[in-house]
Amino acid sequence: MEPRGLVFTLRVGIVTLPSFHGTLDVVVWVGESMIEARGITKRYGPFTAVQDVSFTAGKGTVLGFIGPNGAGKTTTMRILTGYLPATAGDAIVAGFDVFQDPMQVKRRVGYLPEAPPLYPELTVGDYLSFVAEIREVPAKGRYRRIGEVMEMVGLTGWERRILGSLSKGYRQRVGLAQALVHDPPVLILDEPTSGLDPAQNVGIRELIGAIGGERTVVLSTHILAEVEATCDQVVVIDRGRIAAQGSLEEVRTQATGGLRYRVELRGDDLARSVGGLDEVEQVVPSPGSDGFEVLEVFSAPDTDPRTAIAALAGRAGWTVRSIERVQPTLEDAFLAIVGREDARQSTGSQP
Amino acid sequence: MRAAWAILRKELRVYFVSPLAYVFLAVFLFLAGVFFYLGITLTGEASLRVMLGNLSISLLFVLPMLTMRHFAEEQRSGTFELLMTAPVHPWSMIIGKWLASLVLCTIMLAGTLVFTGVLAYYGDPDWGTVATSYLALFLCSAAFCAAGLFASSLTRDQVAAGLAGIIILLPFWLIGQAARLTDHAGLAAVLEKAAFLTHLRSFTRGVIDTADVAYFVGFVFVFLFLTYRTLESRRWR
Repeated sequence: MEPRGLVFTLRVGIVTLPSFHGTLDVVVWVGESMIEARGITKRYGPFTAVQDVSFTAGKGTVLGFIGPNGAGKTTTMRILTGYLPATAGDAIVAGFDVFQDPMQVKRRVGYLPEAPPLYPELTVGDYLSFVAEIREVPAKGRYRRIGEVMEMVGLTGWERRILGSLSKGYRQRVGLAQALVHDPPVLILDEPTSGLDPAQNVGIRELIGAIGGERTVVLSTHILAEVEATCDQVVVIDRGRIAAQGSLEEVRTQATGGLRYRVELRGDDLARSVGGLDEVEQVVPSPGSDGFEVLEVFSAPDTDPRTAIAALAGRAGWTVRSIERVQPTLEDAFLAIVGREDARQSTGSQP
Repeated sequence: MRAAWAILRKELRVYFVSPLAYVFLAVFLFLAGVFFYLGITLTGEASLRVMLGNLSISLLFVLPMLTMRHFAEEQRSGTFELLMTAPVHPWSMIIGKWLASLVLCTIMLAGTLVFTGVLAYYGDPDWGTVATSYLALFLCSAAFCAAGLFASSLTRDQVAAGLAGIIILLPFWLIGQAARLTDHAGLAAVLEKAAFLTHLRSFTRGVIDTADVAYFVGFVFVFLFLTYRTLESRRWR
């Protein structure tokens, strides 16, 4: 598990000063959590877009938000940026409550919406200096900062290009530059690679890896390879609810239940004997090459049947070619999770 | 308010890098020229009364077209999300955009000074009246821009926003005429007071009446406030 950060907000009475009147909030920052969403719910009339979404992202982690289109990824991200108010729940981003202190959160978050928010009439340079200005990058050093950001995303030399004339890949780069210009500790990227060609995809992915560093990055996608390539932590969201979350590893195993092993043996009565082991839940045999048989073995929860199988093979005099654990892919996990939800939905049982 | 200044400059840049500003300037100056010519030839007086009077009506149609893109386009293209996720208060956006339109209006009005120059060369106009008439046009512009901005916040469709702006403003022009149709004295007085033309009259005679100035300033405040409320409520939908 990620270290969970805690935020204590102490309300220190009513303060009355000549220039200031109100309650003084002292925020004590403990731990490393940069984003903490607690029970976020968003309803549009009778329609629930997001239901009770809670998760934590530590400093420096890249958190992938995956789910089918329309699962509520964008809504959740918009709530975290302070663009949309939530119907219920709260969120602490970069040490500030999104709903109590949206301005403080907005100062510390870089956000790239699904479509890069560009003004097609402006040049890259004019656009970035406009964004830098509204994002409160100090006038002194603003120009240098824009240069740095343009270099980071590979836009050096493109200052004078009109945004409307850029290709999709370059628009996305400008979008990233825009989100980075005020050097935010939290970066929220909504489908940063959607609509890009494979080469651009790899480029943007590498970029996200490179600009990540100390920053906490939340990115949404429905491309699983992207999550595998860039994320430390995964939140699977489906129909507005969190279906699974944890590290990549945890989500993979969580979703597929027990682990899967692939065993290649030569001998008699393989499937039945292996299936009789305590550690084994299910065996799916299939013919292999050279007289070997391939068994797909599903282990019982929290057990590792490999040594038992090896011992059994020794006793029975089988020839063992390989016993290996099959790494579940995120694809398997995702389909298992979303499929499970589908099944639940179709039987009509509402949780 | 630093953000308002940034937005003001951005809006002006957008106006001037696209053909928009130039088209408006050309149309407006053409209309001003026509009114100037007709005013001089039909009345035979060396005054800008006819030109300035007609321009105020023209502004009623032109300015909503100028302001229609402001919020409608931001919402349509998604840049509204950029502004709303930056530490920018909605008031900064509203003030920045309103001032940008007003700056463009001022440039348009400054363009018509050519005709004043022509008049000064050939005749002897009453400079006090000219000055107050320009002040009236400026106040009109401020009011129409505010209403246009409000219309723009209502929809993400620019054309709809432009038409809505005209539809909002037209009654304020027409109720002046409507006042003459009613027999009810109280109603007539109210309609009369709500109309633009009533409040422009003393300006064209060279008089600055604070009640008239207050009318336009109030108009601006009401519509900018309505814009603010609309933007706020948009987030909840």
